[in-house]
Amino acid sequence: MSATRRFRSIPVTFRVPAMVALLMVVISAAISERVLDRLSKTQESSLNGLAETYLDGLSSAVLPAVLRGDVWEVYDALDRSSSSYAALSPVETVVTGSDGRILAATDPNRMATFSRLQDSYLNRFGPGIVTIDEAALTGFSKRELVYQGQPIGAIHATFDVSHLFAERREILVTLLVTNSVLAVLFSLGGFVIVRQMIAPMRILENHMRSATHGAAEPISPNQIPEGDSEVAGLFRGYNTLVHAERERANFAMQLAEEEKLSSLGRLASGMAHEINNPLGGLFNALDTLKTHGETPGVRDTSISLIERGLAGIRDVVEAALATYRPERSHRPLSADDLDDVRLLLKPELRRKQQRLDWNIVWNELRELPIKGGPVRQAVLNLLLNASTVTPEGGALSLKADSSGSYLSIEIGDQGPGIPAEIAGILIDSDPGPAVRAGRGLGLWMVRRVVDDLGGSATIAVKKDGGAAVTLTIPFEGESIKANAA
Amino acid sequence: MVGREKKNLRQSRRDFIKAGLAGTAALTFSHASGAEIGTFQFGLTPVFLSNDLELLGHLRTYLSSKLGGPVELVTRRTYQEITALLVSGRIHSAWICGYPYVQYKAELDLVATPVWHGKPLYQSYLIAAAGRSVDGWTELNGDVHAFSDPDSNSGFLVTRTLLAKNKLPPEFFFSRSFFTYGHRNVVRAVASGLAQSGSVDGYVYEVMRETEPDLIKQTEIVRRSEWLGFPPVASPKTLAGDARVKALQQALVSMNGDPEGQKVLDLLRLDGFQATDPSLFDTIEAEVQIVRQFG
Repeated sequence: MSATRRFRSIPVTFRVPAMVALLMVVISAAISERVLDRLSKTQESSLNGLAETYLDGLSSAVLPAVLRGDVWEVYDALDRSSSSYAALSPVETVVTGSDGRILAATDPNRMATFSRLQDSYLNRFGPGIVTIDEAALTGFSKRELVYQGQPIGAIHATFDVSHLFAERREILVTLLVTNSVLAVLFSLGGFVIVRQMIAPMRILENHMRSATHGAAEPISPNQIPEGDSEVAGLFRGYNTLVHAERERANFAMQLAEEEKLSSLGRLASGMAHEINNPLGGLFNALDTLKTHGETPGVRDTSISLIERGLAGIRDVVEAALATYRPERSHRPLSADDLDDVRLLLKPELRRKQQRLDWNIVWNELRELPIKGGPVRQAVLNLLLNASTVTPEGGALSLKADSSGSYLSIEIGDQGPGIPAEIAGILIDSDPGPAVRAGRGLGLWMVRRVVDDLGGSATIAVKKDGGAAVTLTIPFEGESIKANAA
Repeated sequence: MVGREKKNLRQSRRDFIKAGLAGTAALTFSHASGAEIGTFQFGLTPVFLSNDLELLGHLRTYLSSKLGGPVELVTRRTYQEITALLVSGRIHSAWICGYPYVQYKAELDLVATPVWHGKPLYQSYLIAAAGRSVDGWTELNGDVHAFSDPDSNSGFLVTRTLLAKNKLPPEFFFSRSFFTYGHRNVVRAVASGLAQSGSVDGYVYEVMRETEPDLIKQTEIVRRSEWLGFPPVASPKTLAGDARVKALQQALVSMNGDPEGQKVLDLLRLDGFQATDPSLFDTIEAEVQIVRQFG
C-alpha cells in the first residue's frame, strides 16, 4: 500500500515512462516465454522429424545387412550416412543384432564390434522419438529393426543438440536485447511525450499555485497553444474562472462597503436622533434658565435637566466611540458593553416600534476574559439584523449568560428564519461557498469574530417563529485550554 | 566363425543360383543377348579400385578401340558373382582372382596376367591398426579379423592357409571375422577399428599408399606372404576360338605401347600385362590343397 502511495507520489513525467518500461518488460517476458516455448516445440518436432528420417533411411540401408549379420555392410552404411545427415549432427550410431551385441558403430574404437551395450548406455534412450539430455547437450534416439514381424536388431543413435540450445540462447538474447532497446526507446518517448503533454498543465498548476497565495492571474494569450484545442479550452476556462472570481470579489467588496455604509447610516441617523431628542429638552431648559434663572428652584431643576440631557448625549457618543475605536477593542468585555449596544440600538428600535427583551445573567466578575470590542460589534450586527427581519412592533430578545466558563449570547427575532445558504456563513465549517455567493456580509463579520475568539455559533428556530442565533465564546484561559486539549 | 560365414555364404550362393540367376543374372542375360549382337562383356572383380570411374572410362575406351566394337564393363559386389558369370559363359572375359582361377581351371583359359614391379606376382598382407606394435602374426590371436572375400586369394585363402599350416582353425584363432567384399574395405575396417586385423591384397595396399596415404597411415603391415600369381584375366574355354578373346589378349599385352592403354596402366600402377603359363598359379593351388586337407 505504501509502495503504491510512494509510486503515486512520483511525478507523472517519470511515472508514465516507468509504467511503459514495466509494461514492456512484462510484455517481453510473456512474448519471450511464448517464443521460446514455441521454438522449443518446433525444434523438438524438427529434431524428431530429422531423427525419424535418419533412422528410416538407416533402417532400410542396414536392415538386409543386419539380417545377414554383415558387419562390414552395416559399418559402411553408417559411415556413408554420417556425412548425409549433417543437419542432424549425429554423434554416434550403434547397430545391434538380434542377440543385442554390437554389429557396428560409427566409432568402432569406442563401441567394439561384437561387444554388448552397457545398461548405462541403454538407459539413456527414453520412450519418445528423441530423448534429450540437456546437461550433456545430446539427443538419444532408438529404432527397433523388425523384419517380417520379428525383431532382428536395433539402431541406437545419439545426436549433438548443442546447436538447438545455442539457437534458443541466441534467440533469447536477441529478444532481451531487442525488448530492452524497445523498452528504453518507449520509455524515453513516453517521457518526452508526457513531458510535452504535461507542460500546459504545469502552466496551469503554476497559475493555480499563485492563486492560492491570493494572486489569481489569467494565463497570457501567447501561452495558450493554438493547435491543442483541449488545452486551449482548459486555459480559456481557467481565465474565465479567474475573471469571474475577480468580478465576484469586487462585487462582494462593493456589497460589504455598501452594507457597512448602510449600517453606519442607520447608526448615524439613530445617534443623531438620540442626540436630537435631549437637545429639544436642553434648549427648553436653557430658555427656562434665561427667563427664570434667578428662581433657585427653577434654576436647579433646569441645570439638572441640562446635565442629564448632556449625560445622555455623552453616553451615546461614548458608546459609538467604544464600538468603532479599534484601540478600545482589546478591553475585556463587561456588562456595560452590552448596555452600550442596547443604547446604540435604541433609535432603531424606536423607529420600528420594536421591543427588546433583555435578560442578562452576569457572573461575579465585572469584566470577562474575552475581548470586548469584537463581541460588541458582533452582537450589534446580529441585533441590527434581527431588527431588520422582525416586523414593526415586534420583539427582539437578547439573553446573555456568563455564569459558566464561557459566555453564551442568544439573539432572537421574529423574522421568517435565516435561509440555509446564509446560515452557512455562521455555522458551516467552511463558510467559503456561502460567502462567495455575496450575501450576508454582516454575518460574515460575526463569523470572523466568533472564529477569532475560538467560539462557535448555532442557529435555532424559536417556538413562536423566528430565529435564535446563539454565540458561545469561551473565556480566554479556557479557550487556550480547550485548544490545547 | 569363418565356418559360419562360409555356411552363410553357401546359403547365399544357393540363393544366388536360385533367385540370383532369375533376378540379377536376368540382367546379364540381356547383356548376354547384347553380346550376341557384338558387345564384348568384360567382368571386373572388386580386386582393384572398382570405384574409380575414370579408370573404367579409359579401360572401356581402350578396349573398344582395340576390339573394334563396343565393350561393356560388368562389375559385381563379390568375386563369386563375376566368377559365376564367367564360368557359365555369360560374359566373355573377366579379371578374376587367382583363387577362383585355380578352382575353375578346367573351365577357364588364361588371357593375360598383370605385371607389377616387373613381375606377374603380388603378395598378401596381414595388417593391423597402426601403433599396435605387433611382433608377429601369432599375436593377432583373438582379434576380430576382416577378410576381403571368401573367393579372394590374398584376402582370404592366404591367411587360411597360414593358419592351416600351423594347425590353427581360424574360428579359434580369431575371436570373430567378417568379409568386407573389397580390399580397400579391409583397410578401412582396420583403420576405423571395426576389425583389429585384416587380410588384404598387397598390391591394392601399396597402390592405396599413394592414393589414400592418410588411410594407410592408420594401419601397419604385420606379415607379408610369399610372392603369388597376380590375379589374372581369364575367359571361358567355351570361347577359346573367339577372335575377340584373342584381340583382348593382344590389347592387354600391348597396353603399355598405347597412350590410352598407358593411362589405364598408370591409374592401376601396373607395368603392363603378359601372357603367362597356368603354372604361375601352382602355389595358390597348393594352398587350396593345404586348406582342403586341414578341413
